Amino acid sequence: MSSSPTLDNGLSKTATAAEPPTHLILQTALRDVSVLFRTPWIIITRALAFIIQLFVFAFLISGLIHIPGLNFFEYYAVGSVVATIASISFVIGYDIFEEAEEGVLDYLLTLPIPRRQFIIGRALGGAMRAIIYTIPMFLIVAFVWGFTQPFSILTALVSLFLLAFGVTGMSITVAVSVKSANRFDVVLALLELAMSRGSTALYPITFMPFYVSLFAPFSPVSFAADTARMSLVGFTLDLPALAGLIAFVVIFLGLGAAFYFRRLEGGIYG
Amino acid sequence: MITFERTGKRFGNLDAVKDFSITIKDGEILGLLGPNGAGKTTLMLMMGTVYRPTSGTITVNGFDVVKHPNEVRRLIGIAFQDPRVDGILSGFEVLNWHLKMTTTLDKDERRNRVEDALKALDLWESRKKRTWLMSGGMKKKVEDAKILVQRPSIAVFDEPTAFLDVPSRLLVWKMIRRLRDEGSTVIVATNMMDEAERLSERVAIVNKGKLVASETPEQLKGTVKGGEVLELTLNDGSEFRPDMLTKFPEVHDVKKQDNKILVFLNSGTLLLPKIVDTLSTQGFKIESVKLKEVSLEDVFLTYTGQRLE
Repeated sequence: MSSSPTLDNGLSKTATAAEPPTHLILQTALRDVSVLFRTPWIIITRALAFIIQLFVFAFLISGLIHIPGLNFFEYYAVGSVVATIASISFVIGYDIFEEAEEGVLDYLLTLPIPRRQFIIGRALGGAMRAIIYTIPMFLIVAFVWGFTQPFSILTALVSLFLLAFGVTGMSITVAVSVKSANRFDVVLALLELAMSRGSTALYPITFMPFYVSLFAPFSPVSFAADTARMSLVGFTLDLPALAGLIAFVVIFLGLGAAFYFRRLEGGIYG
Repeated sequence: MITFERTGKRFGNLDAVKDFSITIKDGEILGLLGPNGAGKTTLMLMMGTVYRPTSGTITVNGFDVVKHPNEVRRLIGIAFQDPRVDGILSGFEVLNWHLKMTTTLDKDERRNRVEDALKALDLWESRKKRTWLMSGGMKKKVEDAKILVQRPSIAVFDEPTAFLDVPSRLLVWKMIRRLRDEGSTVIVATNMMDEAERLSERVAIVNKGKLVASETPEQLKGTVKGGEVLELTLNDGSEFRPDMLTKFPEVHDVKKQDNKILVFLNSGTLLLPKIVDTLSTQGFKIESVKLKEVSLEDVFLTYTGQRLE
């Protein structure tokens, strides 16, 4: 047995070299993003579906709904961007579930990246992917309603990103804690449905049935939708909603990491 | 240097690996030879910090795989038996991303390495093809190429030439040898005798999660008594008993598998007529006779009581 541990084997620039943590996190995230860019038609079809939903369904329905002091068409437009980003952020869970089934996860776990960084990279990749996916829709809404204030746009994007980051954490949590593929599909679909439909993204809380209005204010989708609307339309910051969003991210990234570690054989991580 | 010290891995009630001890020297090519399910992949995944040993220890260049997994991962590269590649990415992209994660090479250096490997493996023309559109053999070569471009300190290949045609197998073997010549320690898990014999400097025979022998191929052959093997095929071997032939002093061992009888002996040419006569007298009909020198396959049979191929 060798007397002292060594990483040096004389092979220059090979795996023996240590990479800064940010580089590996970024590369892990970019892997998920690059997969998205290999299928640009998904972005295009999603954007088209969004346009049809907005300018056919939302346009028609807003003609039927007259609420004093509320432009429902605008309300729905911002909310549907938020609901879309939540929906897309769940996709990373499907990817991770599939990777585990196909054995790609084993490969990823042999790469020289500490487990914590790996998990952050995956969640970040999922969130970046969701943001890129949603940007065309966000631009359409910003253009149609004339949202041009940089700080408002930035705040809205931050809230969208935080929602995406938290939802990817939640999706990872489900992906690594449910073993049956069917059960996984059902759990994720129910979560998505509850979070988006039971939120203030698409309709104001005052018009919700009592039993929905009880928990809708606490949906992370509501936090993001309220923050985005307040900043884009009201030019103010909804601090309680923003705080709720940050708490959501922290809780589900933590849970995602904990469940991921537990699922990994023996919990080897660093 | 890699040291397995009484290493074990238990899945539920099953011991996938049990009391496994071996030291792998720097710069050697070690062949892990065993049938499917022998525990070879589990050994590799424990070494690669994917599985945690349930008993014993594994150290890689002095780093314990459980206590220092990050350091170990920086030393190792594993090419899996079934290609583990993103189907939506091309071969070039798969290798380029692998290098981004495992090396500090700049863009040009990465491109050069990937280009060299893809050209050498006859994949350059298909470099933009998504891997899910590739044949099994092409995908397997991309999987092997990950480690060939990475050039890790410890290169692990799990069945590196499964799904490959003969020219591709020879090519991969050549590149694995070159990897060793450049300073890597190489571990090759295989269930192919010729691969173990032609590629490995030392062969470790693994069966049912245990190490049963570990020597150079020649030394292993030397451990089989006799030096010659007489292979007889009977029309019906159900009545055959080994003691019919072990009465001859030149016969050291007899193994029977269905209608095939393997006789480990000396002076085979001289003894052959006597053996044929003995069996004919007992009423057996001999369909074929083959006299050969001991092969690694015979070694495997001797140590494990079963055939690999």
